[in-house]
Amino acid sequence: MKSFVLIKQVPDQSAKAGVNADGTIDRAKAKRMLNPFDRYALQAALHTKRTYGGTVTAITMGPPPALEILYEAIAHGVDRAILLSDRRLAASDTLATAFALFNTVRFAGAFDLIFCGLQTTDGDTAQVGPQLAERLRVPQITYCEWFEVQDGLIRARRVVEGGTQTVTCPLPAVVTVANSSERLAYKTLRGAQRVQHLQRDEQLRREVISTVTLDDIGADPERCGLKGSPTIVAATEKVGEIGGNCVFYQGKPVEMLVQDLTRNIALREWTKR
Amino acid sequence: MTKQVLVFAEQVAGEIQPIALELLGAGRLLADKLGGILSCVVLGQGIGQLAPALIAGGADVVHIADHPELATYRTLPFRRVLIDLLTSFEEAPHIVLLGSTTTGRDLAPRIAAYFDTGLTADCTELDIGSYEHTNKMDPSKLGLYENCLYAIRPSFGESLKARILGPWKNPQMATVRPGVMVPSVADFTRTGQVQAVPVHLQPADLCLVVQETLRAVAHHVELTKAEVIVSGGFGLGSPEGFTLIRELASCFEHSAVGSSRKAVDAGWIPHAHQVGQTGRTVRPRLYLACGISGAIQHRVGMDKSDLIIAINKDSNAPIFKFAHHGIVGDLYQVIPEMIRQLQAPHPQEAVYAVRENQRR
Ligand SMILES: Cc1cc2nc3c(=O)[nH]c(=O)nc-3n(C[C@H](O)[C@H](O)[C@H](O)COP(=O)(O)OP(=O)(O)OC[C@H]3O[C@@H](n4cnc5c(N)ncnc54)[C@H](O)[C@@H]3O)c2cc1C
Repeated sequence: MKSFVLIKQVPDQSAKAGVNADGTIDRAKAKRMLNPFDRYALQAALHTKRTYGGTVTAITMGPPPALEILYEAIAHGVDRAILLSDRRLAASDTLATAFALFNTVRFAGAFDLIFCGLQTTDGDTAQVGPQLAERLRVPQITYCEWFEVQDGLIRARRVVEGGTQTVTCPLPAVVTVANSSERLAYKTLRGAQRVQHLQRDEQLRREVISTVTLDDIGADPERCGLKGSPTIVAATEKVGEIGGNCVFYQGKPVEMLVQDLTRNIALREWTKR
Repeated sequence: MTKQVLVFAEQVAGEIQPIALELLGAGRLLADKLGGILSCVVLGQGIGQLAPALIAGGADVVHIADHPELATYRTLPFRRVLIDLLTSFEEAPHIVLLGSTTTGRDLAPRIAAYFDTGLTADCTELDIGSYEHTNKMDPSKLGLYENCLYAIRPSFGESLKARILGPWKNPQMATVRPGVMVPSVADFTRTGQVQAVPVHLQPADLCLVVQETLRAVAHHVELTKAEVIVSGGFGLGSPEGFTLIRELASCFEHSAVGSSRKAVDAGWIPHAHQVGQTGRTVRPRLYLACGISGAIQHRVGMDKSDLIIAINKDSNAPIFKFAHHGIVGDLYQVIPEMIRQLQAPHPQEAVYAVRENQRR
């Protein structure tokens, strides 16, 4: 069983450092972390290896520091990793990102399953997984929270509005993993030791983690980055403190506060009478 | 050529989903601004009878793809029918809208990737406007563009609203967050065309089989349909606090219980009740926020409510920045008093303000 898992390094939004006054993120200063949604994808990929054997390859696209999350993935038991890093990828929207990742996947070789996080915490689009599946011309299972593989078929439970759905589908396929699925286990001791080896041994690292550019994977730069992105962020507006006209009720006994309120607004009109 | 706005109308088991009518409401406004037509496409089996309601909801043209293999939503067959429909038009629609439901978010990216066009996810506002592109990094795009889709969505943990544009290619696509757009008022005197969409599926389109769909949770429906929502937050201090919230909610007609994420994370109430970015978007006529600070992720799920009342003991809580009325006090004192007064016989005093005045 050959599984790929697509992961991304995102700014840690819970850390105040790196957030500009206007709410935008200063990516250079922000603390970075593995996209929380990708932890579920990583767990799903590692689950295939533990249950059915085979290998797991982690793939990421990002600037050189994204190497950190590949080490993290290796510490969890991933076998091999690919970092696609190229300045020409800057300002990629989801379409351009999916195109670049599609080329990276082709570079990585044949696969049975590709796992993606449901969405990222910095983009929140949930679009890259399905767009990758479209380019690869394979079926997809989105919002997957449980699955098993048998006789070349994946049987999966996915989340839908107000419930769940069980589907079966032949491999290869792209799976986006819901955050209601199995949580990522602890790093393994072997994995952690392997990371230490890799960090010490440059040669070994290059064997395990390939760092590639658009040229290496044969992706048309015109279809990547700003040029390959059909959408742009044309303007941003701070979500202002609208209103600010709250009518306050305070400094009186509670009974009077509530009376004042129910006098000002027709609360009773909504009640059962 | 007349500009076309096309809406993907979701139905489940022959029932038009609320998002379909919300998209028609939003699509109608866009089509009118463009001086164009609003069409919609609905896929399923035995769904011909849905056309009048979709026309009443604002559609000028309803495209119906009726086929046994479309009975339940599946990515590949739906993808095929939509791609065939979109390529059958003499001119690509100007705008294509889908809901950001699990279905819309599954389907829309594939369609956009097929046509190599832009797709903005999970929008909360849509508009039409002009745009001048001056970024010289990509000279091919320089220029002034009219009639662009303004796809507006929260970003950066919802602290910003981003206006995302892609006027270089049609269709301009977006998915729209359920519960945010106002459905147009059904007008059954409207007329429109109904057109059958030919369905040509290939064997590979049918590789995925749906074995079973379980839709059990009714809470979602309650929350999005309720006229009054009483929500409890972390300020309740314990799961028992929701007993009080339920009691207050039960004073009102057509009411439901909501919550903040922190109350859900604490295990006090199931996720189905969560309002906000990662919960439900609601727009009831009355929203009562009790012990909720009003974090941006909560706010985006409820700030379009007609009337917001907050109960919080901290007068600096962010919720008071956008609530219309706020009681500063301990909810454990305020709520029981509120219940008592609401249940007491109707007082004689006049009720000054009419509800309509409270609407923003
Ligand atoms: C990616 C992401 C997604 C998120 N999605 C959501 C979402 O969908 N929905 C959501 O709600 N949140 C969401 N959050 C969490 C959000 O940021 C806040 O943490 C959360 O809304 C806070 O919940 P709260 O207001 O109940 O709790 P708190 O922030 O702890 O506020 C409790 C409030 O209760 C008041 N209080 C305390 N005791 C009393 C009392 N006795 N009487 C009256 N008032 C009292 C306090 O003054 C305080 O204002 C998300 C966060 C992230 C990072």
